[in-house]
Amino acid sequence: MVKKSLFFTSGFFFLTIWLMVSMASAQTVRGVTDTEVLIGQWGPQTGPAAPWGAVARGTDLLVRIINEEGGIHGRKFKYFLRDDSYMPAKTKAIAKEFVEQIGVFAVVGGVGVACGMTARDYLMENKVPWCGPVTGVYEWITPIQKYLFAIYPLYDDEAFNLTGYLYEKLGYKKIAMFYQNDDYGKQGVMGVERYLLKKNIKLVEKVSAEVTDRDLSTHALKLKNSGAEAVIMWTMPTHAALILAETAKIGYKPQWATSNTLSDSALMMQITKGLWAGMINSFFGELPDSKHPLMVKYREWHKKLAPQERWGVFYYAGIIFAEPFFEGVRRAGRNLTPETWVKAMETLKNWQGIGPPITYGPPKTPMDRQGGKHVFYGKVRADGSVERLTDWIQITK
Amino acid sequence: MLAQLILSGLAVGACYALLALAMVIIYKTSEVLNFAQGEMAMVSTFVAFTILETYHIPFQWAILLTFLFAILLGIFFEVVFLRQAKDPTVLGLIIITLGFEMMLMGFAGWKWGPDQRSFPFPVSNIETYNIYGLIISKINFWTIIVSLTLMFILFLFFRYTKLGTAMRATQQNPLAARVMGIRTKRILSFTWALSSLIGAVAGMLVAALGVLDPPMMMDPLLKGFAAGVLGGMTSLPGTAIGGAMLGMIENLFGGYVSLAFKSVVAFAIIVLMLCIKPSGLLAKHYVKKV
Repeated sequence: MVKKSLFFTSGFFFLTIWLMVSMASAQTVRGVTDTEVLIGQWGPQTGPAAPWGAVARGTDLLVRIINEEGGIHGRKFKYFLRDDSYMPAKTKAIAKEFVEQIGVFAVVGGVGVACGMTARDYLMENKVPWCGPVTGVYEWITPIQKYLFAIYPLYDDEAFNLTGYLYEKLGYKKIAMFYQNDDYGKQGVMGVERYLLKKNIKLVEKVSAEVTDRDLSTHALKLKNSGAEAVIMWTMPTHAALILAETAKIGYKPQWATSNTLSDSALMMQITKGLWAGMINSFFGELPDSKHPLMVKYREWHKKLAPQERWGVFYYAGIIFAEPFFEGVRRAGRNLTPETWVKAMETLKNWQGIGPPITYGPPKTPMDRQGGKHVFYGKVRADGSVERLTDWIQITK
Repeated sequence: MLAQLILSGLAVGACYALLALAMVIIYKTSEVLNFAQGEMAMVSTFVAFTILETYHIPFQWAILLTFLFAILLGIFFEVVFLRQAKDPTVLGLIIITLGFEMMLMGFAGWKWGPDQRSFPFPVSNIETYNIYGLIISKINFWTIIVSLTLMFILFLFFRYTKLGTAMRATQQNPLAARVMGIRTKRILSFTWALSSLIGAVAGMLVAALGVLDPPMMMDPLLKGFAAGVLGGMTSLPGTAIGGAMLGMIENLFGGYVSLAFKSVVAFAIIVLMLCIKPSGLLAKHYVKKV
């Protein structure tokens, strides 16, 4: 009787140990199981920056498309979207939730410089792959972080080249700048001033707006009094609409030019009541009505899976920032770990989805983490469509 | 440039004054600062937008329906939330307004989404009047006119009507007002309805001047509060003057000193006024006997 009891007890003990060991070996990589990969993204779904939150919902569409097509290497993707309201304190809490509670394999996208900066070091310390923060600032690539792969073209380089386009191609010599008073706007100013310094001239005026400002009449007067022929703006959509209205009121009509952050022409035409026409925009992705095969495919899936969403640039930018991540997962093979994913990402050379060509690694540096180095320019027509002015231009050398 | 800055400041100040007015009406009656004022105005403006865009009915009818909605919203808030508070302190009621503000913000985000919209307004925000060389946009001009008219009507209402007097009496001593036969609960409901209505006017003007989106009233509400503190939280003329002064000071500061600190001026004014003359420029310091 005692022997029998001992036999069953030891059998149960070994069975338990065996189960624990086999479960542990199957779950050694955080957020990856035999059948699933968990990924997360934060994005403002409420608050002043909420229009940019469409990016995170666009990523959701790509995740659903990939799952509908059977996943990658036998695994489907589970996507966690959290609203941080563009508030860095919330972003940090979300990053902790992703790692400590949900246990995601990777973070994809994520709007906001300040928001992302509160999470960057934490994610890197925990070896969480992060692909495509939704801002084009140096903070993602300086210093280089092994698990962080930037896609968004750098604002500094974008502004530098846009200024060059206005100055050299279009012949505007008196250029002013209207920008948002934060890292996003300031890196735009940095690029513009860098270019003008090279030409030995100065900005004729530099006017900033705070995120919460709603009265821009003074800003408009300052721009008008500067006598600038062209004004480059680096702001959020609300400020772009407000400054165009205020300058129109006082009869000031310079050539406007702006970053790809305001490249949702349909939205901008609507909120500016048509004043957006004539805007020179840089773009980091195909145009909404592009006949690119991937765009055609995504538009069809969008009609099936998310018809309630507007097919605008902000929305499908969520696809642009996620495409390289999934390509990395494909190239990593069945053995998906942060290390294999990083190695796979480093093999991307001029790889292109619907965004800019993506290249990491040599020849520039052994560890180049700035993937997107190209934009193209377009001019907004009176009907809101865009006339493409250039092909892809390499802005980051 | 000086005259242009002053004129633009007056137009913006008119919006601040309207919002301050809506807050002052509540404050005069119940001593409650309504932090939901901005979001109540925003939701009313979205209702106007929906009526105009979905049903395509004439603007004047859409406005009347919106006013009706705003009145009902004010009464709803007072009856369903504030009146139910058990042994309410002023602080408790203020916290309730904060909660309602968040509820309305969440509701607007869910119902209308985060995208900015262009509010269809019959007056152009680009076309201008030229008054002796000074350029003022039509929307700014009519904002000033509408604000001044509303303020004048309210001034007459509080000064010369029984209802206005009853509202003032309710604020100064609710118990005595009840003893004198004033139905203070009804007065409170009416006050919230009136405040919500004025807020709706301000909301539509703010949306017409810029864009319509859920957070559109965050900045104007804070500025309206500053205008109220500057002019006096119990004085209607003070509110008008406070709004106009704040708009002009902000613009002049932005134009001649620093644009980066333009927004901060309003809050510096709040701090200064609370230190120097807490009752504001035109209000009398009212001390309750205990």
